[in-house]
Parts: sequence; C-alpha cells; structure tokens
Amino acid sequence: MAENAVIFKGTKDGLYIILKEEMDLDTIKYNLDKKIKPSKRFFEGAKVMNFKGKELTQEEFNELKEVMEQEYSMTVVGNYSDKTHFVQEERSAVKKPEILEQIPFENVHKGEALIVRTTLRSGQLIQYKGDVVVIGDVNPGAHIKAVGSVIVMGTVRGIIQAGANGDYGAYIVAYKMQPSQLRIGDIITRSPDGMGSKSDNPEIALVEKGMIVVEPYLKNK
Amino acid sequence: MIGEVIVVTSGKGGVGKTTTTANIGTGLTLKGKSVVLVDADIGLRNLDVVMGLENRIVYDLVDVVEGVCRLRQALIKDKRYPNLFLLPAAQTKDKNAVNPEQMQKLATDLSEEFDYVILDCPAGIEQGFKNAIAGANKAIVVTTPEVSAVRDADRIIGLLEASGLRNPMLIINRIKMEMVKRGDMMNIDDMIDILAIDLLGVIPDDDLIVVSTNRGEPVIATEQSLAGQAYRNVVRRLMGEDIPFMNLESDDGFFKKMAKLFGLNKKKQ
Repeated sequence: MAENAVIFKGTKDGLYIILKEEMDLDTIKYNLDKKIKPSKRFFEGAKVMNFKGKELTQEEFNELKEVMEQEYSMTVVGNYSDKTHFVQEERSAVKKPEILEQIPFENVHKGEALIVRTTLRSGQLIQYKGDVVVIGDVNPGAHIKAVGSVIVMGTVRGIIQAGANGDYGAYIVAYKMQPSQLRIGDIITRSPDGMGSKSDNPEIALVEKGMIVVEPYLKNK
Repeated sequence: MIGEVIVVTSGKGGVGKTTTTANIGTGLTLKGKSVVLVDADIGLRNLDVVMGLENRIVYDLVDVVEGVCRLRQALIKDKRYPNLFLLPAAQTKDKNAVNPEQMQKLATDLSEEFDYVILDCPAGIEQGFKNAIAGANKAIVVTTPEVSAVRDADRIIGLLEASGLRNPMLIINRIKMEMVKRGDMMNIDDMIDILAIDLLGVIPDDDLIVVSTNRGEPVIATEQSLAGQAYRNVVRRLMGEDIPFMNLESDDGFFKKMAKLFGLNKKKQ
C-alpha cells in the first residue's frame, strides 16, 4: 500500500518531501518511518526545505517537523507559512531566465549561424546568409555556400565557399581539411593534384595577401 | 568547322559509359583532335572524377544553360592534354534543370569550336537521356555481355532510331574471352545478332581500368593495357580507319604463351 505516499525530491534548493494528498497523518508518519529507518545514517543531518503535496494544518506541520528533527535528526528549514510561497516560487521558476548579452570586448563578430548536425553528402548544397557550422563531414560533391564563415567539426572533402558576398575576412575551419576546393570571397583554391599532404590536425583557411592559405589551427600540437 | 556530336549511352547503368567517354575523348585528342567531353549526368556527375578534374570545377553545365557564366568559363582544360576540355555536370541540381532545346543549343555551340563533342549520357531513358541525345548527331551504345545490358541496349537503340539517330555504333565492354570460350558468357556474334548494329569495338575486361579510373587517368594512355589498346582501335575506327578487331585471345595465360613460343622456335629450326 501507498508505495509513494512519501516521496523525497531533491531540487537545486534542497530536499523536499512530497506527501500524497489522500493520506492521513498517521499513514504519512508510518511511511516516513519505513523510508527513513533503513538508511537513517544517510538522512541524518539532512536539511528538508519543506513539505509539499498534501495540505497540512499548522499542527500537522509542527508534528511532522518534530518527528523529523527528534527521531531522524534532520532539520526542517522551511516554516509552515513559507509553504505556499515556496510552491509559487517553483512555478514561476519554470520561466526561462532571459539570457543577456555580455561580451567582454568590442569588435566581436556577431552574426547568425546555421548549425547542421549531419554529414553532408554529394549533391547536397547549403546556402546560408550567415555562418555555417557543420557537425559532421562534408563529402566530395557537397557544397556549402555561406555569406559568413564556415566551421566543420569533421572532415571537409567537398567544396566550401565562405564570404560568398565577397568578404575576404571570412574563414574556414575544419577538423580535417581535405577539400576539393575552397573559396573565400572570389578567390578560389583547389587541392593539389595527387594525394598531397594530409594533415590530421585541425586547420584554418583564410585570406592572406590575396591568396587563400591553410594553416594549422592548433599550432602546438 | 562543324564538329561531330557523339552521345555515349547504354540504358543500363554501370556498363562503362563514363569510362568509354573518357577514353574515346582522350584517344581523339591524342590523335590531334580538339575534343570537349560533356557530362550530361546532372546530379550524379562522375566524368570529372574519372578525368581527375573534380577539384577544378567552378561553373557547370547548368550554369552555362542558365546564363550564370559564359560557355568558355565553364570549360575545364585537361591537366595532361591541351586540346581536351570537360564541361562538368551540376551536382546539386537534377535532370529537370535543363531541357532538350537548351542541350541542343549547347551542343551546337560546342561543335562550332571543337572537332568532337562527346556527351556522357546518364543511365535510364527519362529526361536525362532525352537531354543528352537532343544535340547529338552520332550515337555510341555501350553494352556488356549480360542479357540485362543487351536488352537495355536494344531498347536504347530503338529509342535512338525513333529520335532520328540512325545507325548507332556498338561497343561491347568488359568481355572475358576465356569465359566466352567456356560458353559461360554471351559471345560477340550473339550480341550483334540481337542488336543488329555496327560494331565499333570490343573492350576486354581489364583490372587496369579500375586503377586508372581511381587515379583519374584514362587507360587509353597506358601502352601495355589490353583495354587501352582496344580503345585506341575504337578511336581509329571512329576516325574512319579500317582496323581489324584485335585478337583478344592473345591474353591466354602463361602456358599457352610458352607453347606458342616453343612453336615459333620449332619453325625456326
């Protein structure tokens, strides 16, 4: 009977004890005892924020509080009057906290990014007005055309076009850079014929002196 | 000068249209002709990879047709031969991106500048096939010695004739003479009987084809390859020379070669 007459619930504020509504006080006490007794050491000294669920009278609350503190050496932090207050607060806490912009320095590039969480295969074309982040590979024959920069958390084997509107400041970063072609602005480079040298380290492609250069992104690795 | 526009087609996929296109194109340019290869397989382009030119593509056939770029801009010059060019297909579009009239105009424009325009047709008989054959004035049908490929080739020949491309030429690809001799593979005469068109060449099955395809270098430039030799003969026949079909049984294996050698020696004695 009443397996969950009493439920212990840990929240980020602390421990709550949820009492099933239709239980009388004796049943609750019996169930509390049944739950706490076997692991009394564990509960010793624990702070109970408050009770929840069943509406308690002032007397019932005091009685339970006494039981908790005397028999199980636990402390009940909340007061009877807090009870409704706590419940309300939790409900309002569901609302997402507003994330405010906080950037420690100026001149940070802010733009819209498209995040693609899949491998792009041959024939798939992504055109986007901002930055593109691919969590996956870009296979041969796949094509990314971004007005902003492109980041690939995987291997690039296809064609990546960054700064499609002519922005030479755009760049391309990839875990493994083996593209058939890279384009930044209107500059085009292609990988050398033959297998060429393959780097196993992340690399970044950017425009330097009118040419696209690819260099290691993690220099000390 | 109006060049020839040749479409390489088969109906069935995987019989070697693209390999044949690449090799014939390279062969013609080795004979001093100016050649442009057109990949009409929009959405499933392969000719660029077989030619080893995949990382040079900036514009493609659809860009030309849509007027995004000029024809000259989309043509990729081969890295080995100065008179060989490739017009790649678009990979991010599909066959409906162009229509037969546009292809016809494209083929006409190209034929004014090149001796040979070779179109690599996609498999199937739908839009892509109709596009590819629209501008052609000659057709090469590729088949392999399998009933399925021969049946598809037969269908294709019918469709070609219906669209005014009479007398297509046949290339039988990937034949294994030792299997034919054992009776395990269709023989050349049976296929010609069924298809009833002129034979342009027989290409033996050759492991070097796989190697050369993966390297992006057409096998026709490889002297010691039997398939390369067969393609060289195809090219010369295409240019009007009368070349006898090569004896594919020369590749019989070590013991027969030894026997022949001894036979020759005996004669000398």
